[in-house]
Amino acid sequence: MLYTQVKGRKVVSTGTAETVGRVADLVVDPRSRTVVAVTLRRSGHADTVLWSDITAFGTDAVTVPDGQVVKDANHAVKELSGKAHDVLGKRVLTTLGEALGSVSDVEFDPESGAVNALVLPSGDVAGSRLVGVGPYAAIVHAG
Amino acid sequence: MSRLMRTSEVIGRPVVTLDGKDVARVKDVVYSAGGGAVGGFTLAGRGPFSGPLKQGLSWSAVMALGPDAVMIHDEDVMSSVTEVLDASARPGGSGGNVLGSEVLTDTGILLGTVVDVILEVSEQRTCDVVGYEVSASEPLGTHGAKVFLPLPVTLSASGEHVMVPAAAKDFVAHDLAGFGAAVQAFRKHLGGPS
Repeated sequence: MLYTQVKGRKVVSTGTAETVGRVADLVVDPRSRTVVAVTLRRSGHADTVLWSDITAFGTDAVTVPDGQVVKDANHAVKELSGKAHDVLGKRVLTTLGEALGSVSDVEFDPESGAVNALVLPSGDVAGSRLVGVGPYAAIVHAG
Repeated sequence: MSRLMRTSEVIGRPVVTLDGKDVARVKDVVYSAGGGAVGGFTLAGRGPFSGPLKQGLSWSAVMALGPDAVMIHDEDVMSSVTEVLDASARPGGSGGNVLGSEVLTDTGILLGTVVDVILEVSEQRTCDVVGYEVSASEPLGTHGAKVFLPLPVTLSASGEHVMVPAAAKDFVAHDLAGFGAAVQAFRKHLGGPS
């Protein structure tokens, strides 16, 4: 599944069948190379759903058991979210100091949250090569 | 695969951690004692108008010097700039302050003036001074043309002149792509380590 396809997707509670929000961003942990949380575009301050609280990442909606799983971002998620850690649009550098281009999309596994690949205009970079994501660049192992 | 680069291109390159943070920019290249290799870098702040930093970067702390960035593990590998400078070359090596120096052969022929210092970063993570980009005088060909002149492993430089073996002019390259082979051929010709 692609990052750009899930942006704006509805998040629906299976308990009440109500829409609890829309996907604003995916929070990626570069160490585990997985999506660890989803942030929602909604009113109110609670805006984060941990990956483990998601029932399913469907093609038409993301389902959660109920609205209670939408919480304030915990410390770990806060550390990884925000503009500095956004993967989309970020320049990609290899550990050898070579620029590969900018991330145009992220392909992830909707079951496990594993980042399968960073999509770049010059071609895909395997998610397993990801080392870190910071304000300047996403760092990947040299291929 | 080793990579050749101009010193002038290294200056200004961002210093980036594995966490993707740019912590500094290269302000200047510091040559190691003896001058034949890069010993480290002095640093400036990230912005284009930022001043020099108190921290420096010794070559041993560098993970990779790439075409687009200098990679380091994290900010903690930076040391004080005085430490980096103290370990560096006294004037006289092939690095050092050679820009504008006249290149003379040991037979007394002026080959041109130094406009840039060419570095070779090897796979073994060494970074050696292997040549100069020279604004050529007549004996090297077209006057004023820029050519690449290979250097022996050691040579003497005074700030006014750098002395090269007369054979250097037979191993001149006209672009960086062909220069690596020229350096190897020249150093083999001299009988030294390539």
